[in-house]
Amino acid sequence: MIQAVATLFGLSLSLVLLFLIRRDRLHISHGVTWGVAVLCFALLGFAPGLFDAIARELNIIYGPTLAISLAIAALVIKALLLDIECSKLRVKNQRLAQKLAMLESDLADHRNATNKATSSLG
Amino acid sequence: MVVIPAFNEEATIGDVITSAFRHADLPVWVVDDGSTDLTKERALTAGARVLSLPFQIGAWGATQTGLRYAHKLGVDFVITMDADGQHDPMSAKHLLETVVSGKADVALGTFEARGSGLRRVAWKMMGLASGLDFRDPTSGYRAMNASAIKALTSSAASMLDHQDIGVLILLVRARLRISEIPVNMFPRKSGQSRIFSTWRVVFSYMIHTLSLALAKRQLRRNQPSKQRNTLA
Repeated sequence: MIQAVATLFGLSLSLVLLFLIRRDRLHISHGVTWGVAVLCFALLGFAPGLFDAIARELNIIYGPTLAISLAIAALVIKALLLDIECSKLRVKNQRLAQKLAMLESDLADHRNATNKATSSLG
Repeated sequence: MVVIPAFNEEATIGDVITSAFRHADLPVWVVDDGSTDLTKERALTAGARVLSLPFQIGAWGATQTGLRYAHKLGVDFVITMDADGQHDPMSAKHLLETVVSGKADVALGTFEARGSGLRRVAWKMMGLASGLDFRDPTSGYRAMNASAIKALTSSAASMLDHQDIGVLILLVRARLRISEIPVNMFPRKSGQSRIFSTWRVVFSYMIHTLSLALAKRQLRRNQPSKQRNTLA
């Protein structure tokens, strides 16, 4: 049953990914990362024996534990990468807003200077 | 140059600017942090120059905007002060003298008497977490020279949310000399502290600040060059 669920989930996720990339809702770089996740689900669905074999090698009695642990680890890493990206964007956003405020002030000064020059010529 | 971050301070900003002009005798720049009231208009009427942020980015972000502009203009000394009328502009000269004379890179205006019980506990905890012993680490009344201005305009400084212990840690790491100068402060004329308002806000602020202080704590015993003055 777990194989069927994993296969179905992998197929659904790959369709959603394709849809999001085609509609420009997801950048291709993120698409690649999620593509790897889809591949993992496909492996779990189509070759369940693979995880069991690796689990046996690692002395893990119950095979699916390995898959679940790896999935949790991948999700935690992904969440951390997202927070790093979010922090970078926040700094960029803030510095951009600051730059805009400074440029607006410069523009106002420039306009005033131009107006003064124009009126003195007139 | 005097930098005053302001968010919805129409009731006090005019008087603060007038006093700053009278006592500091420097150009006054107000950084309007996305105010929805007449803060910008009142500031312009009082004779200040205004930098208008397109949206609210917080008091520290607004202050940093002023510092970045000062850095761009090549200004040698900046005084930062609050727009709510708490900071006595008469103390501005003491702060400025400290950095102009070269005694310190940053003069931190301190007023311990303003500390309520809760605030004192917060200051103590910040000191323990960061390993830095400042009497009033949340004071936004500061004077700084070009080296400090440059340090505080960095992207690393943009990661900070508040102008408190995080900024002080950054200054200490940049090996800048910080001098604590006792100054006079008044009770808030309008509104209330954005940080020390409700228990929920205080709790959230303390968790963030203490986590930052612990994470950035210097591992090596490398106490900052710090002086304490006793004269106001």
